[in-house]
Amino acid sequence: MSSDSSKKRKPKVIRTDGGPQEGKRSRTDVDQDAKYYSEEAEVDLRDPNKDYELYKQTCQDLQKLMAEIQELKSKGNKDCAAEIEERRIQSCVHFMTLKKLNRLAHIRLKKGRDQTHEAKQKVDAYHLQLQNLLYEVMHLQKEITKCLEFKSKHEEIELVSVEEFYKEAPAEISRMEITRGDPHQQTLSRLDWELEQRKRLAEKYKECLANKEKILKEIEVKKEYLSNLQPRLNSIMQASLPVQEYLAMPFDQVHKQYETARHLPPPLYVLFVQASAYGQACDKKLAVAIEGNVEEAKALCKPPEDSQDDESDSDAEEEQTTKRRRPTLGVQLDDKRKEMLKRHPLSVTIDLKCKDGSVLLLTFYYLMNLNVMTVKAKVTAAAEMTMPISAGDLLSPDSLLSCLYPGDHGKRTPNPANQFQFDKVGILTLNDYVMELGHPYVWVQKLGGLHFPKDQPQQPVIADSSLSASHMERTMKLLKMRLESRLALHKQFASLEHGILPVSSECQHLFPAKIVSRLVKWIALTYEDYLELSYTKDVVEAGLAEDTHLYYMALIERGTGKVEETYYSKPPFPQMVAQPVIVGDEAPSEQALMCSRLFSPSQFSKSKLQAAVVLNPGYSFVPPVFSLCLNWKGEKTNSNDDNIRSMESEVNVYYKELCGPKPGYQLLTNQLQRLCVVLDVYLETETHDNSVEGPKEFPQEKMCLRLVRGPSRMKPFKFNYPQGFFSHR
Amino acid sequence: MIEVEGAMGVLRMHSAQPKRSWQLMDIQRSLELLHMTVYSQSVSPCGKYLAAGNNFGEIAIFSLSAALSSEAKEESKKPVISFAAHDGPIYAMVSTDRQLLSAGNGEVKAWNWSEIVKKGCKEAWCRRPTYKSSLEVPEINSLQLNLKDNSLLMAGGDCAIHMMDLESGAFTREYRGHTDYIHCLALRDQLRECLSGSEDGTVRLWDLRAGGQVQCIEVHKYEECSRPQYGKWISCLATDSDWMVCGGGPALTLWHLRSVTPTTVFPVQQCQQQVMFYQDLILSAGHSPTVNHLQISGEMKAQIPCIPCCVHSLSINEHSPEHKVLTAAGSSHRIDVFTNFGYRAFSLTFT
Repeated sequence: MSSDSSKKRKPKVIRTDGGPQEGKRSRTDVDQDAKYYSEEAEVDLRDPNKDYELYKQTCQDLQKLMAEIQELKSKGNKDCAAEIEERRIQSCVHFMTLKKLNRLAHIRLKKGRDQTHEAKQKVDAYHLQLQNLLYEVMHLQKEITKCLEFKSKHEEIELVSVEEFYKEAPAEISRMEITRGDPHQQTLSRLDWELEQRKRLAEKYKECLANKEKILKEIEVKKEYLSNLQPRLNSIMQASLPVQEYLAMPFDQVHKQYETARHLPPPLYVLFVQASAYGQACDKKLAVAIEGNVEEAKALCKPPEDSQDDESDSDAEEEQTTKRRRPTLGVQLDDKRKEMLKRHPLSVTIDLKCKDGSVLLLTFYYLMNLNVMTVKAKVTAAAEMTMPISAGDLLSPDSLLSCLYPGDHGKRTPNPANQFQFDKVGILTLNDYVMELGHPYVWVQKLGGLHFPKDQPQQPVIADSSLSASHMERTMKLLKMRLESRLALHKQFASLEHGILPVSSECQHLFPAKIVSRLVKWIALTYEDYLELSYTKDVVEAGLAEDTHLYYMALIERGTGKVEETYYSKPPFPQMVAQPVIVGDEAPSEQALMCSRLFSPSQFSKSKLQAAVVLNPGYSFVPPVFSLCLNWKGEKTNSNDDNIRSMESEVNVYYKELCGPKPGYQLLTNQLQRLCVVLDVYLETETHDNSVEGPKEFPQEKMCLRLVRGPSRMKPFKFNYPQGFFSHR
Repeated sequence: MIEVEGAMGVLRMHSAQPKRSWQLMDIQRSLELLHMTVYSQSVSPCGKYLAAGNNFGEIAIFSLSAALSSEAKEESKKPVISFAAHDGPIYAMVSTDRQLLSAGNGEVKAWNWSEIVKKGCKEAWCRRPTYKSSLEVPEINSLQLNLKDNSLLMAGGDCAIHMMDLESGAFTREYRGHTDYIHCLALRDQLRECLSGSEDGTVRLWDLRAGGQVQCIEVHKYEECSRPQYGKWISCLATDSDWMVCGGGPALTLWHLRSVTPTTVFPVQQCQQQVMFYQDLILSAGHSPTVNHLQISGEMKAQIPCIPCCVHSLSINEHSPEHKVLTAAGSSHRIDVFTNFGYRAFSLTFT
């Protein structure tokens, strides 16, 4: 069939010329001439629905024709050929129609498409326009809200209240009639008013600034004047110094001292103030001064010194570990101890001057961590003094101030809290450090206003100046007395060592003119030596000999033998000690023999009186105590001879008769002199044993009323001035 | 002639000492205690109190009943009261049934026991025999009560024995003869005789009624007891009927008075200051810290140690059986008390 169609295409144009020409000819007769044939135009003219009917008709016809051909062909008759031809022609016409219809449909489709496209373009344009408009709307709305939300600066400005505004603002600004109703205007005018006011204030500010500038300038000028004045004043001060000195008014020095005193720790400050006050009020010769490194003290003041030793300890430890690699435990402990016993860099010195010009120099220290004060003493004598050997301890700083008040040895710390601190670092007692640190006497604490209650060891102690004041006068007097008595002793010892008993003229009446017994030796003893003496037992038991006291041994002799150069501290009759008095009939001669053999070419023995002396630190307020041992015809002590006991009591109990002129510094020498006297009496009044050959050993030179008296057969030891005889008590 | 001194005794109570310089007073007192000698003792008639006089002229009254009681404390061994009685040492004390008589330098003072017990210490009277010497006041070393005559015998420094009538206070008799001062007296009640021992080395017997010397024994001349190295003085004396014991410089010796012979010389080396008959024993003490118990036969029965180095006074409290003690005093401020005479029980102390 395709071959059919292709064959039929060639004449297609012709056919279209012819076929439709007929159909269209009827319709377009008018413009047939002007236009060429245009199928496109034809489309517009034809009704698609009719075309569709036509198309259906044609298809039906074609189908019919096909079917007739089929029928004819199936009959196979030659006669039918014509009919078939005819029918073919008819079919061809139908095909032509179909082709025409197909072209038309195509053109129509194209046309429809074009139309649709056109319409679509139009819609798109409209849509774009719509979008633009919407955007514009949105923008405008935004602008509007922006405007609505705008904040004006004026809202931040604080304005005066409305009432105030109307009250104060002038009418040209307030414009009451307009602004009353209109809040906008009102705000505006209020702002105007504000501006006005601010302008005025700015004006005022400027004025004040100028004023200030002026005053500053004035101050500057005055300052300059003052600073110019200072050097001039200084020069005046400098110039006045010699005058001050000349007039003995050390204002300047005092001032400096007060300045320094501010850096003193409280106890030393109290001491300083009280001592200066005492010096001004009662003792012009008392000199109080501050010594030490002020800078160090200042440095100490600035960071509040942490008194807790734990911290300081740990600090110290840290230091150690950084400095040294591995310090031994001992070194650490040693450093801790040093830290604990640290003194404040400042110290207070007090110079006590005595009448004879000798000075007691006291230096007071403050142990910061222990909260106790210590004192060191030094004596400067007025005149050059020879140093007696036995006087070693008299002026030594260790014993000079000992027992100023009874029992105050200054060897233990008066602060009970210290014991706990010591336990930590392994200090047994402060005594081991006293030489270095000074003595912590109780009176020193009191002068510094420190009072340590005994029962509450941990209570913090603060410096109290009233305590210091109440003790100042008494202590100063005691100190002065102590110094004077020590100096007096010192002088006396020098002559005692040479066997000279200095007896002043005021005391001559206490003694007879002729004294035969002589002091030959005066030495210092140790406490232990004293304890070992057999005849001092009673004194020790009575509690009159303590290790703080000073001990001496005096040897008084009387005898016909020559004075020997060397002496023995042991009793010269060792045999006699074992059996003191029990001597048989023949004993004296034996004894005499022995004595002569041992000691002297003379027939008689020398009599030696040993006197062990306890010198209380409180001398001469507290008398010295003598214990006697007479070596003569055996060893005689207070335990086997009542007369020796009585001799002791003559010097010990009746010491008041021997004090001499006040304040009794001659007591010791008078006592020794008295011992010489009573020894004379003892020896001279000894009953002569008639059975022994020879003259009486010691002729009686003293005038005595009676040789013995009373049940105990006492010898007459009491000397009666001015008659000059001896009697009994 | 009687010299009567008024109530001149200065009362110085220890409690009333001035407060100032207590420390000095303290030391002064401890020195006094150190050198204190108790010369005399006397027991009150009731037997509850012991009076002791020392060399400083103080009389201290101790309560024996308190010290001996089972609940005795240290405090009860201290004086109930002590007062200054004499200017010098108190060498002798005796008690009558009412009064305590004490003697020291030249005078006798009396104190009423009834007042002393109530701690009143005002002297009842004070008598002083007439002395020849004006230079020195002689001491009275011994007092002896003569109950039969109601008189008091006293002897001492003026070498004479004075008899004083206790009723009138008058010195009635005087017995002279000794050439040195008299240490001790003893009484022979039955014979109305008095014995005196003296520094001159003699013991003399006196007829109290006739007033003359009956006998003179020169003890130091007997070889048995003479000890020239000590001296000849007789410091202690006791008598019992025909027997006498005496000692001092010479050894302690028992004498038969009728035959005037030393029968026993006791083996005591030291000079004796005090001797007494006690039952069948002789108690003696002296220059040694012991109380010696001696038998008549001459043996040393016991030597009881005591505190004083030299014992000047022995006293046995016979007045009260429950407080019967021996007390020994001497060169110490302590007075030893022997409840059982065999050992020292405790000491009364001066304060």
